[in-house]
Amino acid sequence: MTRRTPPRIARGLLRRVVHDDSREMIDGDLHELYVHRLDAYGALRANAWYWLETLSFLMRFTLDRIARFFRGFSGDHAPSVLDLKLGARMLAKSPGLAFVGGLGIAVAVALGAGAYAVINSYFYPDIPLHEGDRVIAIGKFDPRRRYEEEHILHDFVTWRRELRSIVDVGAFRTIRRNIVADAGAPEPITIAEMTASGFRVAKIPPLMGRTLIDADELPGAPPVLVIGFDVWQSRFNGDRSIIGRQLRIGTTLHTIVGVMPERFGFPVNHQYWTPLHIDPAVAVAPGGGPGVDVFGRLAPGATKETAQAELATITRRLSAEAPQPLANMESRIVPYSDIFVHAEAEGETSAYAILRFLIAIFLVIVAMNVAVLVYARTVTRTGEIAVRTALGATRSRIVMQLFAEAFVLSGVAALAGLAVVAVGLRMFDAALAGLFEGRPPFWMHSGLSAGTVLYTVGLAVLAALIIGVFPAMRATGARLRAAMGSIGSGAKARLGATWTLLIVVQVAISVAILPLALLKVVEMTQLAMRPAGFAPGEYLSTKFLVERDGTPIGNPTDAVIDSTRRVVNALLAQVAAEPGVAGATITISSPWNGGGNAVVETDLPNAEATTTSVQNVDTNFIHLFDVRMLAGRPFDAGDAALRLRDRPVIVNRSFVDKMLGAGDPLGRRIRYRAYGDDVQPWMRIVGVIDDFPKAVRTPGGQVTRGAAMYHLAVPGDIYDGLLTIRLRGRTPEDFTPTLRRIAMSVDPTLQLSDTRSLDSMYREDTRAAKQLAAVVILVTLSVVLLSAAGIHAMMSFAVNQRRREIGIRSALGAPARLLLTSVLARASRQLTLGVAMGLAAALAADTMSGGMLLSGTRLLLVPATAVFMLMVGIFAAAGPARRGLRVQPTEALQAD
Amino acid sequence: MTSHGLGEFEQMVLLAIAHLKHDAYGTPIVDEIERRTGRSVARAAVYVTLRRLEDKGLISSWMGEATPERGGKARRYVKLAPLGVTALREARHAAERMWQGLDPASLRAR
Repeated sequence: MTRRTPPRIARGLLRRVVHDDSREMIDGDLHELYVHRLDAYGALRANAWYWLETLSFLMRFTLDRIARFFRGFSGDHAPSVLDLKLGARMLAKSPGLAFVGGLGIAVAVALGAGAYAVINSYFYPDIPLHEGDRVIAIGKFDPRRRYEEEHILHDFVTWRRELRSIVDVGAFRTIRRNIVADAGAPEPITIAEMTASGFRVAKIPPLMGRTLIDADELPGAPPVLVIGFDVWQSRFNGDRSIIGRQLRIGTTLHTIVGVMPERFGFPVNHQYWTPLHIDPAVAVAPGGGPGVDVFGRLAPGATKETAQAELATITRRLSAEAPQPLANMESRIVPYSDIFVHAEAEGETSAYAILRFLIAIFLVIVAMNVAVLVYARTVTRTGEIAVRTALGATRSRIVMQLFAEAFVLSGVAALAGLAVVAVGLRMFDAALAGLFEGRPPFWMHSGLSAGTVLYTVGLAVLAALIIGVFPAMRATGARLRAAMGSIGSGAKARLGATWTLLIVVQVAISVAILPLALLKVVEMTQLAMRPAGFAPGEYLSTKFLVERDGTPIGNPTDAVIDSTRRVVNALLAQVAAEPGVAGATITISSPWNGGGNAVVETDLPNAEATTTSVQNVDTNFIHLFDVRMLAGRPFDAGDAALRLRDRPVIVNRSFVDKMLGAGDPLGRRIRYRAYGDDVQPWMRIVGVIDDFPKAVRTPGGQVTRGAAMYHLAVPGDIYDGLLTIRLRGRTPEDFTPTLRRIAMSVDPTLQLSDTRSLDSMYREDTRAAKQLAAVVILVTLSVVLLSAAGIHAMMSFAVNQRRREIGIRSALGAPARLLLTSVLARASRQLTLGVAMGLAAALAADTMSGGMLLSGTRLLLVPATAVFMLMVGIFAAAGPARRGLRVQPTEALQAD
Repeated sequence: MTSHGLGEFEQMVLLAIAHLKHDAYGTPIVDEIERRTGRSVARAAVYVTLRRLEDKGLISSWMGEATPERGGKARRYVKLAPLGVTALREARHAAERMWQGLDPASLRAR
């Protein structure tokens, strides 16, 4: 016999999509029509008809719901001031919920809005130039090595000559030179050596005089200089007769030809511009010349896509002519800001897009958590809502009111989050300004932008929708009609399966994630607080730069290298000869941060290539910082003579642990990883030193200091670096004037800048780690707190629901312990389930990572977290359970 | 739209209810509109409109009998509320005023 009911799935779908109050009617009408069709046309056609009708209803009712939702924001359904006041009063009545929920949302909003602000100003900024979105940069990348090639002068010359879809293709490089005023000490300045086309791309006329012109770039053209508004004001007191004056830069006199207006900083943050000299008669080999950045403006009618296509055609031809590894590189049009952030090479833009998405997801999870808390409270108000409905309030009106209440909570929390973001951005700007001598790139705006505030408002509304509307829709749905039928007889609201599942999942996530988060917190705190392993207060550091005039383009000549070496050696010798100086060393950047990272491989069979930090140090380095030699020997003068043949390197303890294992590391060979045919020569390990600065060992014995490798640098190699002097019996402040005097006597054009105690540099470097640790701690705390609050809310709800039963059982003489067990049973089941799921997830993640995440004693953290979460849960449940036991039978019965 | 915000489709549904008198519920309303206009209408659109008209206070509804061929579900009958009658009259007057001075037979596209 044929079934005379409509297709089950279609009917289920239909019942879900239509409004509660229309469900019975529509279900019945369609059922009736379905039966008629079944009799007239058979099951196949009847079923097809029913499915088509279901889809039609699905579409129409979904659209209707959306329309109703938006109509809710206008007219008499709109949340009123009274709703907001009521919301504030409800929050005041539940301070625990307000605090926990507010903290969770504030942390999530602060993370979301902060990330949005930083990522946008950093990666996707609006370039404040005329049609700034048409100003682009061109980069050359090696996708396999995630590496951006800087030496692209050869390509630039071709691009400038051939590209039609990009106009005013230009290039620049940033150099530092000493500027020598009429009388007085030389002062280092930063100059943009730029093609004249840069000013045409910026489309900003000069305040006085002229900008650079193409003729200035030609060989033999008289040296000219354009200055920025700020230096015109500060250095030349706004002298209106400045044009035509001469200024000595290094050893060359330059004529000032123009002053640019205020806030002009193109190409990045520059205040001095000289022409980039490219001799058209001298061919630059591929990969030759200095590192430059290339920019341009899309031609009228051209798009990034058409320009990219044209660029690709040229690149294919250039690659065919270029030697390895240049032949494998690709050229890409990138956002203009990439000349500064260089995110394209690292694939960072997509990584940050993912980060932004993850943070948004985090907010949704937090808001869902808060929604659990709010829902638990909302269902206790089912009676009140039912009465209001009976008095004529529509469902959308009630939903709007609950939304307004949620918005008060999320709005206040978002404001707090925004305040944190404002402070954080100020710190970020200060850090940026510090990095760029008080002058961040011209497109970076400090403080909160309108976009960030709007984004935050969006986050607050999203949070309020999740917190307020979801619970409200459920609380005013079918359940409400049941409640209306029993107004005055004790509405039996229930926490549905969805919410119970949320609590279980939340406990599970906490158990799975907390061990890793805790480890991170400990690790970061230790990193932030770690002792330096040396006494930074004893050291004075200064950046230095030896003038290398005469070779603006191309590799320095031997004569230039020799003169540089003479200057640096004389500086080192004179400093070391001063009384109270224990020694001096030269590095490229800070002594602990290395010069960069590289992937290296060893000569061990089947050894995996690993990333290591690489530092260039001189023969004084190890001794000067009292770094312990664990094996072999430090670099000596003999290495310096033969360093290009023998290629000696020193590695640290972490390097040996990570890459070489138990065997004798001395004499082992290592080399940079080869890409294609580009095989690198072997280097030989001559010594092993302790980790510097001292490694931090986390609870599980993991070493946070990474592997490091040291090359020998001869002072002449480093002409732009950091000089660190160790003092005995003299303070860094005392010694600074002496250092300046020595520098003047060695070479009047030698630039010293950022002269200060190494201590302040060390503290600055660890500050970022401290701030990051604080953020991780805050996020971890809010997750624990939310989990605890969720369990607490669920327990309170369960107890409230059973007040009558508890009261009666207590009156009938049931022992308190039995009652308590019964009350706690449900919470315990959910807690245990959550903990079990969390444990399984943590162990599964650990197994999948090959035991990397929780190796050794760190594995103990998982059961410890499980026990902790159980205790948190029981603690959160204890209060409501105790309240339940105190229920008097008369009270419980009266309440109904 | 009239002062009651009546759309064309809403007017049709209200008029169908008026024609059906005491036998107005979803299925006959759809049939009535189709029969009189010769147009096929989406059933879901009629139900969405019925709900909206009830929200506006233009119609009222009551539950009828549940029958086995309806899967045990009751019919929900609707009738015009006083506000609905007023809205229909206003719509009619507005249309008549707009037609005044025009001869339907002599209308030409220019």
